[in-house]
Amino acid sequence: MPDTLREAGDAPRPDTPGGRDSAAVLEVDGLCRAFGEVKAVDDVSFTLARGGSLGIVGESGSGKTTTARIVVGLERADAGRVRVGGGSGGPQRGRAARLARAREVQMVFQDPFLSLDPRTTVEAVLRETLRLHFPGRDHPARIAELLDQVGLGAREASALPRQLSGGQRQRVAIARALAVEPRILVLDEAVAALDVSVQAQILNLLADIRKQTGIAYLFITHDLGVVRCVTDDVIVMRHGRVVEAGSTAGVLADPRHPYTRLLLDSVPRPGWDPKHIAAARRAL
Amino acid sequence: MSTTTEPHASTGPDAALDIRGLRLNLPGTARPVLDGVDLTVAPRETVALVGESGSGKSLTSRSVLRLLPPGAVAEGRVLVEGRDVLAMNPGELRRLRTHTAAMIFQDPRAATNPLRRIGDFLTESLRLNAQVPAEEATERAVRMLDAVGLGDHVLRRYPGQLSGGMLQRVMIAAALMGDPTLILADEPTTALDVTTQAEVVGLLDDLRGQFGTGLLFVTHDLGLAAAISDRVYVMYAGRIAETGPAEELFQRPRHPYTRALLDSTPRLTAPRGRLAAIGGQPPSLRQELTGCPFAPRCRLATDVCTERAPALIPVADGNPQPHLAACHHSDQLTEVTADA
Repeated sequence: MPDTLREAGDAPRPDTPGGRDSAAVLEVDGLCRAFGEVKAVDDVSFTLARGGSLGIVGESGSGKTTTARIVVGLERADAGRVRVGGGSGGPQRGRAARLARAREVQMVFQDPFLSLDPRTTVEAVLRETLRLHFPGRDHPARIAELLDQVGLGAREASALPRQLSGGQRQRVAIARALAVEPRILVLDEAVAALDVSVQAQILNLLADIRKQTGIAYLFITHDLGVVRCVTDDVIVMRHGRVVEAGSTAGVLADPRHPYTRLLLDSVPRPGWDPKHIAAARRAL
Repeated sequence: MSTTTEPHASTGPDAALDIRGLRLNLPGTARPVLDGVDLTVAPRETVALVGESGSGKSLTSRSVLRLLPPGAVAEGRVLVEGRDVLAMNPGELRRLRTHTAAMIFQDPRAATNPLRRIGDFLTESLRLNAQVPAEEATERAVRMLDAVGLGDHVLRRYPGQLSGGMLQRVMIAAALMGDPTLILADEPTTALDVTTQAEVVGLLDDLRGQFGTGLLFVTHDLGLAAAISDRVYVMYAGRIAETGPAEELFQRPRHPYTRALLDSTPRLTAPRGRLAAIGGQPPSLRQELTGCPFAPRCRLATDVCTERAPALIPVADGNPQPHLAACHHSDQLTEVTADA
């Protein structure tokens, strides 16, 4: 696990500059979060390289979404720290701190229909975001640029969310996230609700955007095919813990943890044996 | 497209399901949402119906129980055990839904009442529609729960006390309660984790053998369809684009849409890098179709494709089960393995 920092959350490392990975845009160290008795996130550590793409794979209840929400600042951690862009990981309260975090990290959710205001046109969504983060800049030019970047035209710009298809709505959500010029985009099952042909368009779009802008992705997904397609590195989570980490190609070709093997075997393919998988699942 | 009358596998009175020329019109649309669908399921056979949203795959499966949207006008025939569902009176329809065909939906939480115990839920249909005494119905519920690997303590539980995978197994038990000859499963594993999906699919497969039911499995997941089914139908814009034995259809797709779907799926075995995405969108329901519905997105399309709708015709022989495709240029498609 070359990329994974594994230290206890209650024993933070000395804050010396030499101890930092200067190539990392995101360092997560010893993250813990409990909901009552349940340890949703249990000592999770990882780094995301500048312009890199890290997948977090796991099933429901693995803690992958809670981890993502802590990184974005939608959820607080009981212990551990999140360092974005080599920052201090200091206090996260208050409007200024929230805006500062939003400038660095943006999130795209699974269902764009729920994350877009049904009464606001696409153009107005982008204008509102730009006004909040960049008062006094030339917004119409930037809006046109953003729409072009995600492959939307003038017709879609004046449309309301309900007039768009699922794929187009997800493009709007990506454009809104990019408007802030973040260094990290957290994508939580962002292509899971899309049809395969549209999903392929969005995955290609995300690959292009990363190449053009050098933005880094934290890609939360349950789909190993998607992970293989868009990430450089991957961590596998189960019951709140990281069970395996490494390069995506390495982990998928040569999984070391039995749970990773089970996940891989569970992907349906011709000659697939569901009974064997069910037995392996019970044995684990 | 005119209704095709090509011979299908397992047609006739023995089929668990035999849909012929099903056409469905909805108010406010410019074209039929289902346009001449032919589909069969034999006893003990698993048939996958694959398509993207709006392709009509769910409407096709729902029409088997005549669960149609308000204002829908259906033409054609939907024969379950040789009897036309579209012509049934309310009493016959009730018997069909209680005893002959059962549906398993995607979201088991949405299909159960959170305030009623599993026992009530399982026995309700038999008690109310078939006047089976409560004791006898409960006995059967216990047997069916056992068949899906759950104990009888589940009878006293509420849906909220069960996990998604357990609740979907309860839904399968519920589907088996009336001893149906046909199970319609509409994306039954989409809401489940991958490892749970394997368990539910394995269970459905077991029960199909054990109870002799035919299974129509509606899914958007080509990999899953390939893994579990004997035969596959691929739908696009309310029509069957291609049908054939699962292995053959995925190895040698003869419709450009099937081929494009396979190419655009991120898989563990395909080469890494950019996916071959299909440009554009499926045709809107507000738009009339003249030629092949896939023509605007198809790299093989020529003038004939926009002028004339292709019929669903045999594309390969030498199979016990026919392989049919609705494409003017299906002979131009090469094997997936050859240039993947």
